[in-house]
Formats: sequence, C-alpha cells, structure tokens
Amino acid sequence: MVKSMSDFQPKIIALVCNWCTYTAADLAGTSRLSYPANIRMIRMMCTGMIDPKYILKAFLDGADGVFIGGCHPGDCHYINGNLKFKKRMAGMEAIIKQFGFDENRLRLRWIGASEGPEFQHNMTDFIQTIQDMGPSPAQGIMVL
Amino acid sequence: MTTQNKPRIGVYICHCGMNIAPKVDVEEVARSIQTLDHVTVARDYKFMCSNPGQDMIINDIKELGLNRVVVASCSPRMHEKTFRNAVKTAGLNPYYFQMANIREQVSWVTKDSQEATEKAKSLVAAAVGRVFFHQPLETREVSVTKSVLVIGGGIAGMQAALTSANAGYEVYLVEREPSIGGHMAKFDKTFPTLDCAACIMTPKMVDVLQHPGITLYTWSEVHKVEGFIGNFEVTIKKNPRYVDEKKCTGCGTCMQKCPTKKVVSEFNEGLSFRTAIYTPFPQAVPNVPVIDADHCRVLGQNKKCGVCVKFCETKAIDFEQKPEFVTLTVGAIITATGFQAVNPSGMEQYGYGRFPEVYTSLEFERLNNATGPTSGKVVMKNGKVPERVAIVHCVGSRDTRHKKYCSRVCCMYSMKFAHLLREKTGAEVWEFYIDIRSPGKLYEEFYNRVQEEGVRFIRGRVAEITDIVDDATDEGRLTVIAESTLTRRTVRVPVDMVVLSVGLEPARGSEDIGRLLGVSRDGDGWFNELHAKLAPVATPISGIFLAGCCQGPKDIPDTVAQSMGAAGEAIALLAKGIVTTQAEISRIDPDLCSGCKSCIESCSYSAIRFDEARKVAVVNEALCMGCGSCAAACPSSAAGVKHFTDQQVMGEIESILL
Amino acid sequence: MSVYAMVKDTSVTEAVKAALTKLISQDLVDAVLVAAKSPYSALPMPTLFANAEAMDGIDPLAPAAPFNAARQAATVSRQATGKRLALVLRPCEIRALIELVKLNQCTLENVVLIGIECLGRMENEVFLRHAAAQGDVTAEFLKNTSLQDDITRTCKMCEQFEPAHADIVMSTLGMAENSVLFASGSETGEALLKELGLSPAEKPAERETVTKQLLEKRAAFKKEVFAETSEKINSIEKFEEMIGTCLNCYNCRQACPVCYCKECVFLTDVFSARPETLLRRAQKRGSVKLPTDTSMFHLTRLSHIAHACVGCGQCSSVCPSNIPVADIFTTVAAQVQARYDYVPGRDVQEPIPYLMFEEKQKSGEPK
Ligand SMILES: Cc1cc2nc3c(=O)[nH]c(=O)nc-3n(C[C@H](O)[C@H](O)[C@H](O)COP(=O)(O)OP(=O)(O)OC[C@H]3O[C@@H](n4cnc5c(N)ncnc54)[C@H](O)[C@@H]3O)c2cc1C
Ligand code: SF4
Ligand code: SF4
Ligand code: SF4
Ligand code: SF4
Ligand code: FES
Repeated sequence: MVKSMSDFQPKIIALVCNWCTYTAADLAGTSRLSYPANIRMIRMMCTGMIDPKYILKAFLDGADGVFIGGCHPGDCHYINGNLKFKKRMAGMEAIIKQFGFDENRLRLRWIGASEGPEFQHNMTDFIQTIQDMGPSPAQGIMVL
Repeated sequence: MTTQNKPRIGVYICHCGMNIAPKVDVEEVARSIQTLDHVTVARDYKFMCSNPGQDMIINDIKELGLNRVVVASCSPRMHEKTFRNAVKTAGLNPYYFQMANIREQVSWVTKDSQEATEKAKSLVAAAVGRVFFHQPLETREVSVTKSVLVIGGGIAGMQAALTSANAGYEVYLVEREPSIGGHMAKFDKTFPTLDCAACIMTPKMVDVLQHPGITLYTWSEVHKVEGFIGNFEVTIKKNPRYVDEKKCTGCGTCMQKCPTKKVVSEFNEGLSFRTAIYTPFPQAVPNVPVIDADHCRVLGQNKKCGVCVKFCETKAIDFEQKPEFVTLTVGAIITATGFQAVNPSGMEQYGYGRFPEVYTSLEFERLNNATGPTSGKVVMKNGKVPERVAIVHCVGSRDTRHKKYCSRVCCMYSMKFAHLLREKTGAEVWEFYIDIRSPGKLYEEFYNRVQEEGVRFIRGRVAEITDIVDDATDEGRLTVIAESTLTRRTVRVPVDMVVLSVGLEPARGSEDIGRLLGVSRDGDGWFNELHAKLAPVATPISGIFLAGCCQGPKDIPDTVAQSMGAAGEAIALLAKGIVTTQAEISRIDPDLCSGCKSCIESCSYSAIRFDEARKVAVVNEALCMGCGSCAAACPSSAAGVKHFTDQQVMGEIESILL
Repeated sequence: MSVYAMVKDTSVTEAVKAALTKLISQDLVDAVLVAAKSPYSALPMPTLFANAEAMDGIDPLAPAAPFNAARQAATVSRQATGKRLALVLRPCEIRALIELVKLNQCTLENVVLIGIECLGRMENEVFLRHAAAQGDVTAEFLKNTSLQDDITRTCKMCEQFEPAHADIVMSTLGMAENSVLFASGSETGEALLKELGLSPAEKPAERETVTKQLLEKRAAFKKEVFAETSEKINSIEKFEEMIGTCLNCYNCRQACPVCYCKECVFLTDVFSARPETLLRRAQKRGSVKLPTDTSMFHLTRLSHIAHACVGCGQCSSVCPSNIPVADIFTTVAAQVQARYDYVPGRDVQEPIPYLMFEEKQKSGEPK
C-alpha cells in the first residue's frame, strides 16, 4: 500500500532532555512559533539516559524519523550526559544504516533552553527532510 | 490502591480558557481517549489547574476508584507539581500521574485545528500508555551531621573554616604542612592595597587556632573518605611530629640547639637553611615544631644525638611517635588545597637554575619578606643591591607548550614587585609582558601607579636570558632578549636580577584528593565545579564544595569571597539538617546486575559503588541525581531510573506509533 | 622479541601434551584449562586440570570448539584465587576474554595465557563424523588441506588466527610434521619457556609465506561474505526474511562469549507485550506475528555487543534454524568497530567506546 508522497504524514518521535530542548520547545510555544504537527515529543531527563532500545523500538514500530535533542556540550544539567549519548549515537547510526534506515532519519541536535526559534527551525527542517525521504522502510511491513 | 490493582485511568483534557480549546477539539480528544484500554473516565474542563478542576480529579479518584491520572494541559514544567499534589490529596501516590503537554507543544504551535486535535490525541494516548506502567515512589530524608571538614589550610581553607565555625558548626581543618597559612604566609605585601600580608594573615591564623569550634590537624592528610552528603566518614592520618603538641610550649630552644643546621628550607624556597627540628616560619600556627625524620640524626641516620631531648624542658620530644588515624563524621566537605607555582626549570631559555640571579616569584617574595633569608633586603647573592631588574610575565602561562590558561595573578604580583623594588632599592625595573591583565577593584589604578613610578613596560615574550653581554662594562650581568611587539624591534637589556613570574598549577597531590572525594578535575587538573556560572563552589558530588585556587587560579580577594561562598553552601546544608533524596533516581536490580561496572564508569557523580562480596553495583541514593547515564550503559537493564523505566518510555513510544 | 622453542613427538597432540603437562608437573601453575576429549565423547570440551597425569585426553589443536571457551575461562578466573592458572585458548577466545576482563567478568591476575594458532574449527557434527572415520582428526587436519576446507564459514573469514596477548603461542604453520613451535609473547611467557626447558629453536622461514597465503585467502573470503551479507540485510524487509525462521530460542546469545549479561533483558518483563496492545495492533494491521520482539532482539543485541563481537561464529553454529547469525553480526560489527576505531581484544587497557566520551578523553581521567 504505497501512499502518495503528498499525503505522506511522517510520524516523528523526539526524545528530548527536560532541561534544554524540552524547555526550548515550551519557549517556542509561548512565543507562538509554529511548526508542522508531526513531532511527538517524549520528555527525558537527559539525553544521557536514552537507551539504544528506545531508538530501535521507535524505528521498528514504524517511526519515520527519530529526533534527539539535548543541551549544548558544557550545558548538560548532568555535566556530560549529552557527550555520552553522542558517543553512543555513532554506533546507532551504523546499525540503522545497515538495515536500510537512512542515517538521516536519526538526528541529534543541541538546542539550548533559550533557543525557541532554533527549536522551531530544527523541527521544520527535520520534518521536511523526512517528508522528502518518504515513509520509513519499516512502514507497512510487519516488524513488531 | 496498589500496582496489583487493575489500572483505572482518569484522563482530563484542559481547555485552558481559550488557549487550548478552540484550536484543539478537546471534546473529540476526550471521546477518542475514552475508548482506550483501562481508561475509566475522560473529561474536558475549562481550567484543570483551578480549584474546581483539581477537585474534579480528587472526587473521581475517590468515587470512581481511579488509580492513575493523566492531565492534558500546559507544560509539566508549569503544573506537574500542582496535579501531583491533587493526586496525593486524594490519597494516591503522586507518581501515579502523567501530564500531556497540549498547549506549548500543540495548540500554540500548530496552525491547523484538525492536525492539532490529532497531535493532542496522540500525546494523550502516549501519556495513558506511560501512566499504565507508573509505580508508586517515595522520597527519603536523611539527617545531616552538623560538622564540616576543610582540606587545606591556606587563606581559603582558613576563611572557610572560620565562617563555618562562626555559624556554630564543628569544623575540622586538615593541613599537610606543619603550619597553616599556605602561600599567603610567604608574601610580604599584597596587591593592590599593599597591605602587609603578615599583618592581615597572622590574626586570622591565631583565630583559627583559638576558635573553640575548629579542630586543627596540621602535618596531617586525608586518608579515606566514605559515605555521602550529610554523613561522610573521614579518616585523617596524623603524621608523627615527634613533638608532643600538648607538652610543647613553643619556646624554640630545640631549634636553636639542633646540630643539623643545613637542611634546605622549603618555606624559604630553598634560599636558606633550617634545622632538622623546625617550624617553617616564626609565626607558624601551631607554634609546635616537627622533626624532619629524613634529616634528623636519630630518626634518619641512626646516630646518637638527642640534643633536643636534652634541652626540652617539658619533655615534649617523642621519637616513638607513630602515624595516628582519626575517624570523623562530617556533613559537608570543603576542599581548599590551593595551587603550586609552575617550576621553570624545564624552560631552558630563562636560565633558571643556571644563573644564580634568576629567581622565581615565590623566591622573590621570600627575599622581600622580613622573616625571609635576607631579612627583607632585596639583594643579590653577592650581597649587593641590584641596579636594574627584569620581571618576566607569563612564565609557563598562556603558552601552548606549558599551561594554556592565564594564571590571573602574575600581572598583578609582578607590578607589586616592581613597586617594591622601586621603593626598596630604587632599581630600574623592566617588565616584559604579553598583555597587562588588571581587571579588579583598584587594579587598573595600581597599574597606572606603577607606571607613574617609572617602571618600564615592554610588550613581548622574552626569547632568552643569557650571561653573554653586549658591552664589556656589563660583564657579570644578564642580558634579557625580547622582541617588543609594539616597536617590532628586538630589545636587549642588561640587568642584575631577573624575576620569573611563574604561573599557577594545581597543588601536588590534588589528583589523589580528587580520587578520594570522587571529584573530577578538568583538563588542567583543577577541580571541576558543578556549573561554571551557576554553581561555582559546588562540585558534582553533593555535599562537597570548593574554595580558593584548587578550583582555578585566583587572587586573595576572590579566594576569600569564594571561601565564604563555599562555607555558606555548607552552612545551608547543615542548618537545614536533613537531605531529601529525590524519588526519580537510579535503582539497580541485584538479580539482574552482572557486575560489569559500566554504570560506575558512566556515573559522573560517583553515585554507584561496587559490592565486592555480591559482585553487583549498588546505587547510593543520596548521591544519585537521576541522570540515567547508568541506565543507558547497562545492557541488562539492571540499572534504571525510577519514573523513566524502559517500560514507561517504550510504553509512550508504542502508544504514539500504534 | 620473542624466544622460540620446539617440541617434537609422535604427533602434534603428543608434542603439545608433553609441554603442557610439564606446567603442572613442574609446579609452574596450579591448574590448566584446556580442551580435552572426555571418556564420553570425541568432542574436546574445556577441561580444568590440576593433575598432570589426568591430562591424557587433551587436544587443544583439534579443529573443534563446542564453546567459545572465553566463558569457561572467565568462570575459572572470575576472581583471583591465589592459585596460578594457565588458560589454553584460541585467538577468538582470548579476544573475548579480554573484553570480559574489561567488563569485570574475570581477571588476568595470576593467569598465564597460552594461545593457539588456530586454523579453524569444524561444526560439531562435521568433526564427529571425521572422528568416527579416523582416529586422530587433529593430526589429519593439520596436514591435510582438504580437511581444512571443512571448517566453519566464520572461521574461513577469520584473519586473526594468530593469538595476540598470549604469554605463549603454540603454532604449527610451516613446521615439520609432529612438531609444535612455542613462542613467547611476554616476559612471563619467556620465563616459562625457559623453565619448561624446551629445546630452543629458530622461527622456520617458511612460516611467513604460509601465514601470508592463509591471511590473503581469509581476507578475500571475508570481503566476499561482508559484501554478500551487507546486501542481504540492507533493508529491514530483507532482514526480516533472513531471520524469518528465528525461534527466539536465544541460543545465539547464550553461545556468544561477549553477551555477558547474567540475564538477558529479553528474558525480563521489559519486552513482554500486553495483550491489549497485541489485540489493538492486530485490529489495526489485520495480524501480528508472535513473538513480536524477534528483530528487536537481534538489533538490540547488536547495539549492545557489535563493538565487542570477536567473530567467533558460535552464534551461527548453535542456531537451530541455520540462520547465518554470525554473518550478520560480523558484518555490522565491522562497521560499528570502524566508527569507533575499536578492535575488541586488542588491548585490556583500551576503554570500551561507549564508556569513553569526549570529556573523559580531554581530562585524561583514568579510564
Ligand atoms: C608569587 C605570588 C604572589 C602573589 N601575590 C598576591 C597578592 O599580592 N595579592 C593577592 O591577592 N594574591 C596574590 N597571589 C595569589 C594568592 O597566593 C592566592 O590567591 C592564594 O594563596 C590562594 O589561597 P588558597 O588557600 O586557595 O591556596 P594556597 O595558598 O595554595 O593554600 C593551600 C593550602 O592547602 C594545603 N594543601 C594542599 N594540598 C593538601 C592536601 N592534600 N592535604 C592537606 N592540605 C593540603 C597547602 O599546604 C596549603 O597550605 C600571589 C600568588 C603568587 C604565586
Ligand atoms: S551496568 Fe548493569 S550489569 Fe553492569 S554493573 Fe551496572 S547495573 Fe550491573
Ligand atoms: S542516574 Fe546518573 S547519577 Fe544516578 S547512579 Fe545513574 S549515572 Fe549515577
Ligand atoms: S556475535 Fe556471534 S560471532 Fe560475534 S562474538 Fe558473539 S557469538 Fe561470536
Ligand atoms: S539461535 Fe537462531 S533461532 Fe535462536 S534466537 Fe538466535 S537466531 Fe533465533
Ligand atoms: S540535561 Fe540536557 S542533555 Fe543532559
């Protein structure tokens, strides 16, 4: 069942840290900076707690993209959870890529608490990227 | 109402007046959520955070037997607490609650109403999928021992000890040298006000000694630290002094009589000698000598001597002393281990060690000091007064081959030296600098004053100091060669004396202290503060604070201010008397843990210890911050943060994508 | 520089036995862990010997390994016991053991590592077939290249047949018949060789060429397998096809030497699906295959151990559905390891990539 590109509504999971990116998202809200409605944000305490399982689960469950948002290096509320995640990310990219998920479906960005506009911009851009890429290869097949 | 009970979930969609409702079709959301499994009731209401809104939740919990609650409204950063309290009021554990953010993340940022409604449905479903897995959590309170350990007895440690003791708390001050005082005790004058260091320092040292709330351990080290915020178990090792502190009156006869007189004086930076039994300087606190076992004829060389024993009237000398271990419980720890000056021996171009008239700044401080090797006269090794002196800035600092950072005090103390030289000797003074850094109250004024006093400033790094002179009349002098970056010319200045303004580096042994305390150090070796801007005296380890130069180079005013800050933090902790542990912290299931220590490696707060007997990792609940680094590192999910469990997060993901 | 010694006997197995029994009889170690035939089977099993006389059945060079014995080695070296142990292991077992040391699963304190130059292992039933046909498979195998073609697919692509990190290495490539070369790989090894009093020898000149040839052959095959596998799993759909017969028996993880968890997360309730979720999913998609976590299992296992996979092939060997698990794992592992510039088993001091992040590197904190 191939959907036409135009009515493809990507489903995107965003795992973001409470202290920076989640706060930036709230700020984008209070500043009424709109962006497409495809993002489903999940609040984590820190990117350092993001287990590879969550990313795999999201992709196998049919997410078209996974966005990870954390504090800028040096600003992590827990000192360096973000750097720990960044290190893990390299391995995750290699794995998902080998199994046919475009590496760009997984994106890590540092968005600080005051960066509402950056948040909006990042969401818009990521959604567009996924929109251009089309549905995830896991869509429509029975993986999970 | 326990976990065993079948989940009965109540969902409340807030209109937030006109903020959510017109954009999101809240009734439609409620209708759709009502069909989800385990949802007992789904309602929408104008203002959920209002009293009637909260009462609605409370009543439903009581009447419908709800055991989980979801509120879809604003950001949890706004009202999570409010709703948790409501849930708690109804007799439910407050952690049986989840919030969906449909205002900041839906109605306010989505243009299309239908899309907004769909997104809201999805986020509320996610919250329902998550709350299903919620578990009741508790916070715990631990009482705090009302005492402080201060490590290091420089000006930082002394000040932190005094402030804490003045607040009425028991303080233990540990200093590894025979006397407290640190570097400041070596100085003659201090910039920018040129106070006499001894005049402002000695009274403080005496205050520390006499304060009933301060127990002083000099010639001692911290041997072991266990426990955590509120109750650290500290073992202090008292090195043998070989002089009984209780009997010694500080008369000093032993030092006069000791026949071993040619021991290099550390305190005088090697510029003079001391005896084997000694106090580092006359105003030492405590005024009780120590015997330097290596040089003592009895202790070190197995010879007969015992002169000190013979002359000591109070029979205070005790060659049999052994190291003593003292164990204390303290609520907080303040680290004030300071710095050491960079040793310029490796920097060939400056000729330190080769040319007798090249001094380090600390040596120069001693030359200036009335209790120093020359009784405060600035003279050369040949006894003559120098006619021209060069002061070289940034030795070992701001230099990629040595320390890339600025040592912050060198410019200012260099100019202090220039002033003292002009005042005491009338010598011509040439300062070689890269930039003058004088940010501080009265600092720029001091710079101007020194300029007015006729000190010459050459902007440029010194390339070489040599004993080759350009003019035969200068024979015996040193030539300082530098390129002036202002005139773009090489200058060659014949001088009698050179002072190297060496930079600062962490005190020797701070690596060990860091390891004992679990406090990490930055790339240069200084202790890491918790947050560079917002928590500059706290460390990642709760209950451990930093004072003075051990955190980075600084001058005395900043050191003192920071020490008072560190003491303030410690006092705040002790005054409260209890530490409340957070509920959302890590737990490690010992049945699942395979003891790989990955979590221990990952924890930046040293909050996990290893139980060697059971071979499993154990979280220290008082230290854990709940960052979840351990959880992500643990392959068997033995480690996990409460309220952020795999099932909870994946339940959320699954509900969104279902 | 290594020192060399040579032992010649009636067969290579006897030669090895002559040397290894001395370890115990001369009191150089308290016990030896080495593969040995049991009275019950020709298949050599990791066996712990404390008595030289009992070592009659040892056969470490046999082309069979029903386990990656790193697991067993880790069991006996779980903690320092005060006893001195010699562990006789294949290269992939030593590499896995080193990973296990990093994971605090065992210690090398008081352990002598004796490595085998490994020409490959056969699947158990292949080995047993040969053993039934002829007595000394080991001797036949080492001189008969056609038998050497019967080794496992993963062994055929293994380039690391020379053990790194061993105190002593036993090898046969390029050696005269019935003789084994002993080379020291450390000071401990050198001292031991001296104590054993084996006759000193030179490294045979032809070793180099033989080794090189083998290496080239292996490298070429590895490239082939990687290319082929990478193609076969380059979409999630193809991967599903590849693991279509997976029974979720978890044999592969049980056999994997670097899957060290006491209890796999897939055996805990983390992934237990709720009936209402399954029903909802079935309603939405029409059907749901059970169990649902098959691909999740393999991908998660990859995310946990791809950096540490030593390419021993045991996962393929134990799969009841004949899924080429090791093809998949080694192919992905190579990519992950390249990203981290990490080689499992290269160095005990080399930190596990996930645990070494930027800031730690900068501050030079101890590991
Ligand atoms: C040449 C020179 C001149 C200076 N002149 C001035 C000036 O004029 N004005 C000014 O404002 N600043 C000046 N400074 C800066 C000033 O020295 C520092 O700001 C100040 O000394 C910092 O105090 P502190 O207590 O942090 O460190 P320190 O003075 O270094 O004291 C640290 C103490 O901790 C002890 N210690 C270390 N490790 C341990 C351990 N493991 N266990 C127990 N005890 C330990 C040490 O023995 C020492 O007593 C000058 C610095 C230099 C180098
Ligand atoms: S990472 Fe997990 S298995 Fe390893 S020690 Fe920590 S809790 Fe135990
Ligand atoms: S949650 Fe963070 S602070 Fe707590 S034990 Fe785990 S790694 Fe350490
Ligand atoms: S994944 Fe397979 S090949 Fe890799 S180490 Fe484990 S068992 Fe061996
Ligand atoms: S051994 Fe084979 S069947 Fe069993 S879980 Fe592994 S891949 Fe699946
Ligand atoms: S708290 Fe934001 S990334 Fe760690």
